[in-house]
Amino acid sequence: MRLLRVELRRLWLRRVTWGGLLLALLIAGLAVLSQISAATPPSEREIAEAEEFYAQELEYWEEHGEEDVAACEESEADDPDPAADYGCDQMEPRLEWFLPTATTFVPAPEMREAGTDGIEPGDGDDPRIAEIQESIWSGWSGIGAAGEYAAAFLMLAFVVGVSFVTAEQSSGALGMWLTFEPRRSRVYWSKAAASAAGTLPLVVVGWLATAGGIYTLHAVFGTVGEVSGEDWAEIAGFSVRLVAAGAACAAIGTALGVLLRHAVAAVGAAAVVLWASVAFAFSFGSAQRWLPTVNLTAWLEGGTRYSVAEDVRDDAGVVTTTWTTEVVSATQGGLYLLAVVAVLTLAALVVFRRKDVS
Amino acid sequence: MPTADGELAIETRGLRKTYRSVRGRRVGVEGLDLQVPVGGVHGFLGPNGSGKTTTIRMLLGLVRPDRGTASIFGHDVPRHLPDVVGRVGAIVESPKFFPAFSARANLRLLADGIGAPRERVDAVIDQVGLSGRAKDRYRTYSLGMKQRLAIAATLLKDPDLLIFDEPTNGLDPAGIHEIRRTMRGLGDQGKTVLVSSHILAEVEQIADTVSIVARGRLVASGSVAELIGGQGGPAVRVGLAADDVAIATSLLTSRGLVVRREDDALLVDGADAATVNRMLGEQGVWAGELTVRRADLESVFLGLTQHEVPGGRDHRGGRRRRKEEARDTTSGAGAASGPGAAVASTTMGEDA
Repeated sequence: MRLLRVELRRLWLRRVTWGGLLLALLIAGLAVLSQISAATPPSEREIAEAEEFYAQELEYWEEHGEEDVAACEESEADDPDPAADYGCDQMEPRLEWFLPTATTFVPAPEMREAGTDGIEPGDGDDPRIAEIQESIWSGWSGIGAAGEYAAAFLMLAFVVGVSFVTAEQSSGALGMWLTFEPRRSRVYWSKAAASAAGTLPLVVVGWLATAGGIYTLHAVFGTVGEVSGEDWAEIAGFSVRLVAAGAACAAIGTALGVLLRHAVAAVGAAAVVLWASVAFAFSFGSAQRWLPTVNLTAWLEGGTRYSVAEDVRDDAGVVTTTWTTEVVSATQGGLYLLAVVAVLTLAALVVFRRKDVS
Repeated sequence: MPTADGELAIETRGLRKTYRSVRGRRVGVEGLDLQVPVGGVHGFLGPNGSGKTTTIRMLLGLVRPDRGTASIFGHDVPRHLPDVVGRVGAIVESPKFFPAFSARANLRLLADGIGAPRERVDAVIDQVGLSGRAKDRYRTYSLGMKQRLAIAATLLKDPDLLIFDEPTNGLDPAGIHEIRRTMRGLGDQGKTVLVSSHILAEVEQIADTVSIVARGRLVASGSVAELIGGQGGPAVRVGLAADDVAIATSLLTSRGLVVRREDDALLVDGADAATVNRMLGEQGVWAGELTVRRADLESVFLGLTQHEVPGGRDHRGGRRRRKEEARDTTSGAGAASGPGAAVASTTMGEDA
């Protein structure tokens, strides 16, 4: 514990850590600012414009509505699919189609993905897909926008974790430290633990400032919406999982810092892996299940899904692409994160115990 | 080289370390057997690249030996280093602290790591004369201040064994003097001080015992007096006119003295300058220069290492520089020297 306390103190003596905290607050500020227009309810002028436009459309409908409905029904009748429904009975304009809406803090049930396009064809019977579509992370909302920034706080924790050990190695202070405490395993664990625990304020402060700031914004504009107890529980769960992910990212950063020795190499390696797993996600097919970004999202949001394309060639040689949706559970995401932390930490520990220190 | 009661502060047996690189394997230390007695200052001498720092790193567990054993106060290291590390303070090469932290912050971290009281930090900072700059960032320190801070760090533990690796590198004369005094003072307090250096005059002034290494091996060990004594007594360098060299050689050898030719001068072993001067004067041969040369640690060192060291030319280069400096300071009073000997004192006038 003594070593851990020392390492924690050293972590927070570093300007990089304080800089990271300031950056987290800056990111939170930008997140809140960027949400202002979405959270603002429509102005009277916007409503008046919408009503005017609605009136024009209604006028047109009264003149040409019957013709349009007839054309629609004709097309529907021509469709080879007997179950085809062109919605010809819903063509009459309604005012709500034209009124601008404000984004609420959590998406209203009808605004969530399940309430808009619902379960996609070919999704199979996996009930988890519906759960994901019904979650507060599906659809436009203030909390959804806040969640988009969560990755930035994890990145900050990672960078601070990397820098925590690489700076010590490059300055040579590690050698001095080891002449005071030569038990390398203890030294490593204290650094990893300090990094994981000590960077949590960055994640916590950043996230609280972002989510709290956006909530306050919606509260000020009166666009919070109806936040159910279930929604609050989901936000709390997300927050806890985010903090755990922050600790994991810092520990991964520490391990990579020890393994690669240079901050640029460690941060660069992580950036390349993340970029590749986003840019080439589809080319991984079913193996997307093992991509770090997919698993991290699954852990944070309580599950996620990805699409896999399958090309089928019929007898006539025509290729049809079928998309299927697969689900990655939060449990898998958590175990994945844990496994990455464990593997990298053990590898770094072995290296740290054996390496010659200059 | 144990003490009377046989206790050793440091002992290594067959210690070996090689480094691998793209250019192949390089031997850092090759079967080193080192013994450092408890108490006093022990010089650890060797040319650059002879394995001094690597040996120290192995003792401190910073580098893993390929073979051999090492112990500190009877504890095998690195395996049992944690048992004894509280008794060891060390500076390896240049001091290395966190550049952005103040001196006090750096030392507090170290003190907290070993459970030393906070007051100890201010005490050691004061002890090395850095109280006025304790709040300043380490990166703003001069080299001498950095060295002093490193010494302060070693003193945090109040150790029984202090290891200083090239502690005066880059210091100005005042700083060198101060560090030397500190090391000698610690030795006088009964602590064991191992000081590695390639600056022989420095070690000669403060060390009680020395070990000399070359190419990773021990080539000599003992007290300074023993090692210098092994080189024989003083010699007299006699500068003569070219015509007189042969006459003087004949004259002095006929009187039973051992005479060697060195450039345009003669080196006479085992005689004092006055006797040589009198012998030559009685026969009408007058010396243009008489210099007494005493063996010193440098001569011992060079004698033992000059054929061992790949960087030996650098060494002689350094020696030439010192020779030139000596000439400058003695204003042509005859402070010449060559391999195997060094100027230790005095011109004819002073001696006669």
